[in-house]
Amino acid sequence: MSIKSPAVAANTAPSAPEIASVLVVTQASFSLVAGLSAIPFGIVEPGFRALSLITILIAIGMFWLARNLRRQRRWARRWVIALEVLSLTASLLLMLLPIGAMRGPVPVLVNLVMPASVLWLLWSRSGRAAFKKAA
Amino acid sequence: MYDVAAAHAPALSAAILLVAFGWCFLQVLRILARRRLLQTAILFVTAFDGALPMTRLAAALMLASGAIHLALVPGHAGITGVLFVIDGLGFIALGVAAFLTSWWRRSAVLWLVATIVAYLVWIIAGWETPDQIGIACKLIELVALGLVMRLAQPGRRTWPRRIWRAVAFPVLASLATFGIWVGGLAHPDALHAHAGALLQPVAPVATPEQREAAARLLSDTRASIARYRDPAAAIAAGFKPGPVSSAEPLRHFEKQANANAVLDPERPQALVYAQTKHGLQLIGAMYQMKRAGQWGPDPGGPLTQWHQHEGICFSPFGFEFSFETPFWTCPVGSTSITTPPMLHVWIIDNGKEGPFAADLDKTVQKQLQGS
Repeated sequence: MSIKSPAVAANTAPSAPEIASVLVVTQASFSLVAGLSAIPFGIVEPGFRALSLITILIAIGMFWLARNLRRQRRWARRWVIALEVLSLTASLLLMLLPIGAMRGPVPVLVNLVMPASVLWLLWSRSGRAAFKKAA
Repeated sequence: MYDVAAAHAPALSAAILLVAFGWCFLQVLRILARRRLLQTAILFVTAFDGALPMTRLAAALMLASGAIHLALVPGHAGITGVLFVIDGLGFIALGVAAFLTSWWRRSAVLWLVATIVAYLVWIIAGWETPDQIGIACKLIELVALGLVMRLAQPGRRTWPRRIWRAVAFPVLASLATFGIWVGGLAHPDALHAHAGALLQPVAPVATPEQREAAARLLSDTRASIARYRDPAAAIAAGFKPGPVSSAEPLRHFEKQANANAVLDPERPQALVYAQTKHGLQLIGAMYQMKRAGQWGPDPGGPLTQWHQHEGICFSPFGFEFSFETPFWTCPVGSTSITTPPMLHVWIIDNGKEGPFAADLDKTVQKQLQGS
């Protein structure tokens, strides 16, 4: 008996880059809001003017990287891996400090699970294969 | 600012149980399909195995959201409870339909968007307080929505369609973040003095003994720190001036050697000075515990309520602060921090706020800055 899943009739692009791009877009949206929300603080805190601008630029860069992940560009994969490793390492180091940086399920999902999932998707056999094929 | 509400805690267990149950259910279906005992099992397993990983993940996320909504029903009476039942069952139906039908994608997009928008309406209207379970559930739904939107076959490649396809998801994700934030700031719960300051839970009314103890703490603190009216004396005694910030007119002088003292008027953890036109004026002391979540003794009951700062993005560059987003993100170069609980004792008249308030009264602060 042969049944084709109705889902196969949809977008049949390789899943790993597609899922990773959705996660990166989600992260970029959160970063964009973090950057935008720091602007009012920048009125009285000069440091946050620079930080908010840098955050907004990084968020825009992440949207661009996500778009190129979907197109299976190898350079985008390398940049995303570098950014996620940096983000995950920073989160793990902050967890060790007694400053309450990770309390509850939301910070764990956003700062640990999401970057780790993106890394796993891009490093997995199917993720590597998708980018090799494209090259 | 965003904690796990006690009534929402069972939803965490529900999500974990669902993963275990889903795996067991699939194995049972596989056994039934292998033995050709149930036609539906054969259909489902074949469709599941043929589905894209993206479809499987989107279905799993919708099932997780469904389980969380159903687990939350007992804690939500009235219309909210009814909507949770409908929402939970809808997500479970869509999670299964993802493998058996071809129409599920558009329905899933509508269901997910409607659920996220409804949550924002509830939060902004103040009918629900945003907590970490609700926010985590929205994160799950946002990712599921992003996946389902990517699963759709691109239609005619006109520019408006391309732009819509590129911006719809990030715009909704950003609006959801802002919406939760606005709702949380507009309707802080009773234990938040203001955004980012969580108060110690206390009894509503102080007993006569507690009033007496509070008055004693105030007079002891006033007598003890009088010797530090001159900031130079505080520095000589080992208090270290905190950084100057244009956003903060108060300056805290901290003494690390007093870190182990607990509500000891002779050894406060910090002295608080106000920046006036004539220099620094001593206006109070700050007692602080060692660890976040470790509330200190409150001899005055509700009069001496400790508070801790949370949900704050701290930047070491210039010693500055902003608020973190509901999804726990901060601008690059700053990090989310939660301070150990603290109790301020204001030795000047602190207006309506009183001598142990988390913050200096705004009017008093203006008067000090103008003096």
